[in-house]
Amino acid sequence: MAILTHKKTSVTKSPKLPLKTYVFTWLGLLGLTLLTALLGFIDLGQFNIVISVAIATIQVLLVGGFFMHALYEKTLVRIIIAAAIIWFLIFESLTLGDYMSRGQVPLHFYPGLRAAVDVIPG
Amino acid sequence: MSEASTLELREQFATPAQQRETASVGMWVFLASEIMMFGGLFLAYTVYRLSHPHAFNIGSSEMTLVIGSVNTAVIICSSFTMALAVYSQGTGHQKRTAVLLLLTMFIGVIFLSLKFTEYFIHYDEHKVPGIWWEHAGPDAGQIQMFYVFYFIMTGLHVIHMSIGLGLLFWTLIRTLLGHFNTEYYTPLEIVGVYWSFVDCIWIFLYAVLYIPGMHLR
Repeated sequence: MAILTHKKTSVTKSPKLPLKTYVFTWLGLLGLTLLTALLGFIDLGQFNIVISVAIATIQVLLVGGFFMHALYEKTLVRIIIAAAIIWFLIFESLTLGDYMSRGQVPLHFYPGLRAAVDVIPG
Repeated sequence: MSEASTLELREQFATPAQQRETASVGMWVFLASEIMMFGGLFLAYTVYRLSHPHAFNIGSSEMTLVIGSVNTAVIICSSFTMALAVYSQGTGHQKRTAVLLLLTMFIGVIFLSLKFTEYFIHYDEHKVPGIWWEHAGPDAGQIQMFYVFYFIMTGLHVIHMSIGLGLLFWTLIRTLLGHFNTEYYTPLEIVGVYWSFVDCIWIFLYAVLYIPGMHLR
């Protein structure tokens, strides 16, 4: 409810949030940091980094939403944030898609590609 | 004519709200470009990590965990005091704003001190690629690669922190000179957004550099 009223006021002025929002955000961030550190001691294989990055993402959403007032900004700012995140995901997924599939594509399906690879020195 | 209105509105803007939005959009566009820059580094880190997961875990396990974890809490606190400084200005407590800005800068300096202590420890252990690197055992080259990422990413973050300290000093001076009131404090707000962004970068750095190898210790 509080969020809705603040969205309306932010149309003309700098967003003004109640003090307790900042305090709860801060406590939440510290709690999640502790959680990240404790979970790090458990051997979860490759999931250690997956979980730590997932918690970090929640923390960054808290910082961005409340400390940086992203939740209370106008549409133009939201579009900029969305564009940054989407573009990041595009270059991340395309590059990783390339690297992770190296050697898994049978080159004999693509004679032209085979020929191209053969001329690469070394 | 009130002092507020002369400070508030520059002539190219129709309304204070438009002026504020312009400043806000400018900062967020800059931060979007920052996401691209740090994003490229995180992507390169991910690619190398996928190629050499074990070596990167060993590199990560050699991090000074206590300093890294404390620093994460420290930078979150500085982000909090910055948000409180912006809040105090909005509610008309200028002295409190100045004190909170000083506190934010102080906590920022604590962060940098701890970071440089960490760098010194790495130097002492001869773990600085390109300057003094000694590592016995298998995967030494790949572990060195981890350290290269560690130093570039945290180093770039340190540069951002230093710029942030300069900006905080500038806003502190402006606060003390009485340039802001309860309606106009956009520079303070914008610097706060930048400072919190630097905090966000560190949260991810902590998650990818310190945590993955923790269980190997």
